[in-house]
Amino acid sequence: MQLELEKIHKNFGEKQVLTGISFSAQGGSAFGLLGRNGAGKTTTIRILMDVFPADSGQVLMDGKPIDYGKTGIGYLPEERGLYPKKKIIDQLTYFAELKGMKHTEAVKSIDYWLERLGMAEHRNKRLDTLSKGNQQKIQLITALAHNPQIVILDEPFSGLDPVNAMLLKDVVKEEISKGKIVLFSSHQMNYIEEFCDKIAILNAGQIVLQGDLHEIKRNYPRNKLLVRSPEISRILADKHFTDAAPLEGDSALITLASPGEKAQMMQNLAQQYDLDEVKVFEPSLNDIFVEYAGEHQKEENKA
Amino acid sequence: MNQFGTILKFELKGYLKNKVFVGITVFLMAVIAVVMFFPRIMGLFSQDEAQPDASGDRPVLLLATHSGQYDEGLLEAFEAAFPKYQVVMPKIDNPDDPELFRQEIEQGEAECAFMLDGLTDYTYYVKNIVMSDNNTAVADQVLQSLYQVHSLREAGISAEETEKILAAQISHTTESYGKDQIENFFYTYIMIFALYMVILLYGQMVATNVATEKSSRAMEVLITSAKPVSMMFGKVLASCLAGFIQLVCVFGSAFLFFRLNQADWGNNFLINSIFNMPLDLLLYMLLFFVLGFLMYAFMFGAIGSTASKLEDINTSVMPVTLLFIVGFIVVVTSMSGGSIDSPLMVVCSYIPFTSPMAMFTRIAMSTVPFYEVLLSVVILIGSVVGIGFLSAKIYRVGVLLYGTTPKLGAVLKQVWKA
Repeated sequence: MQLELEKIHKNFGEKQVLTGISFSAQGGSAFGLLGRNGAGKTTTIRILMDVFPADSGQVLMDGKPIDYGKTGIGYLPEERGLYPKKKIIDQLTYFAELKGMKHTEAVKSIDYWLERLGMAEHRNKRLDTLSKGNQQKIQLITALAHNPQIVILDEPFSGLDPVNAMLLKDVVKEEISKGKIVLFSSHQMNYIEEFCDKIAILNAGQIVLQGDLHEIKRNYPRNKLLVRSPEISRILADKHFTDAAPLEGDSALITLASPGEKAQMMQNLAQQYDLDEVKVFEPSLNDIFVEYAGEHQKEENKA
Repeated sequence: MNQFGTILKFELKGYLKNKVFVGITVFLMAVIAVVMFFPRIMGLFSQDEAQPDASGDRPVLLLATHSGQYDEGLLEAFEAAFPKYQVVMPKIDNPDDPELFRQEIEQGEAECAFMLDGLTDYTYYVKNIVMSDNNTAVADQVLQSLYQVHSLREAGISAEETEKILAAQISHTTESYGKDQIENFFYTYIMIFALYMVILLYGQMVATNVATEKSSRAMEVLITSAKPVSMMFGKVLASCLAGFIQLVCVFGSAFLFFRLNQADWGNNFLINSIFNMPLDLLLYMLLFFVLGFLMYAFMFGAIGSTASKLEDINTSVMPVTLLFIVGFIVVVTSMSGGSIDSPLMVVCSYIPFTSPMAMFTRIAMSTVPFYEVLLSVVILIGSVVGIGFLSAKIYRVGVLLYGTTPKLGAVLKQVWKA
């Protein structure tokens, strides 16, 4: 099972929101869709879900234009909210039926999920009697109850306590192991790193970086050294290391002119200073994100 | 279609479980029950009141003549004309004394007094002139006929003939080739008013319903689960059904209670004219009610989708509400003025925004050729379908717009492009 977005363009009036978005996501894996606020993530998701059509480009499922009648999609929107005044079981059944389930199978599936998420006791309560985190778990059921092939989770972990976050992690892993396509959108990079094999970073309506997360990290230029030393202030003052940036906890990041200087530089440092640690800097997803999503922003501002 | 059914069921359940909705319906039914049982209830009370009267304890009416002479038949005539009183003829010493009856009347020994100066002139004495006092009018009639009898008799006409002349009655019948506007006025008015109330009330409900989903963000899930057309039509038809159920409850109970109390209402013109409404008119009413309701509900729904806060709803729906109120005023003014077929009304009966009220009024109170009715209904149905789909499009654009309420023009521009 493979979901593909091909050269999606979308304008709202004069404003270009998406300019040629293409990516693909496989069944049995999670795909991370990253981007700063206003980068076009929600618009991409809405086009993917056929809320409105793209100006050009197409959404493909296994190479063919997606048939929304056959392909179930579950969605947990970033802006949460259901009917506050209605009984939980009633509204969950309603949403599941809208997705095409029969009443009895909907109730059965919802009862399973209420049990799975530890919410069975709230089955017949009104939604607004629940805490925010529990309401979020209820909303998660609207995304999962109809057993969709594609699960889209927008900031699923925000607002959850650590225990609930753990529960959600397990649920997401289960969904992935069932062979579903899980599309993640989040600003909490640690979760993306934990789940997603592939990512795409959106910036101003374009994908500025995409691919396998491990490959991205491996291919990241290894031209930075992370140094920890009690003499860090002396190192920073040293004229040899012109491109040294201070970090927290007696550390600094030294950028080399080329990765080839690595061995020489390490030797020099070790000879001149008392070092606790020196290693090649491996960027976290957070660093990559800031670099890509942030840099383009700067360029845009200059232009 | 499946989604539409699911939405319809869910929304309708929402109405029927709504305490306010149920409360208003029950309240209206109770009010109607009280109104319909009113004559029977009043009957019970007035029977109680009538009993002491029958036991001979009636108020006293004093009757005296200035001359002290009593014409033949005067007392009998007064007794017949004032059955509620005990007519007494006191002895009068000084007929010119203006304080003559003061004591009796003020002390309540007598309720009123008549001092006759011949048959054509009298003075009426009473303590307080109450609104419902028609004693002088009754006395006028009694005296006039007595005077006529006396005069005719003096002219040498026999008693038999006098009676014949005076008893002559003018009878007339009216044949109407069209409609009876007087009789139709009341039920037309009630129907138009019901239409007006229901459309405004439910229109607001639809708008609020959509805006609530939007502001609670339930829309985010809804819009990705169901097609806007299904959403809009499901919601609007559910509200239409709810409104219809309410009307059936209210009018049905009115009819039922009327049947139970038909005897007590007797020949009450107003009530009878309302309940003798012809069936074909009722069917027209139903047709125009459904179409008018749908059209306005679609518009209200579309507006609800563009509001970002619930508080904005009232101002946002203002233009549509005003349009509807203007239509209502035109129709009601034409009804009361009797100018049912004025050019304004004819035009209004084709414009879809006013035709549900205007055409219905014309059908009810005037004679409208069938092709005119057909044309009006066709235009209306076309508009309902058109506005339905347009409102679904506005809805799809509107529900995803947060922040300030967008201008109508901007929304339509986006709808055009989408």
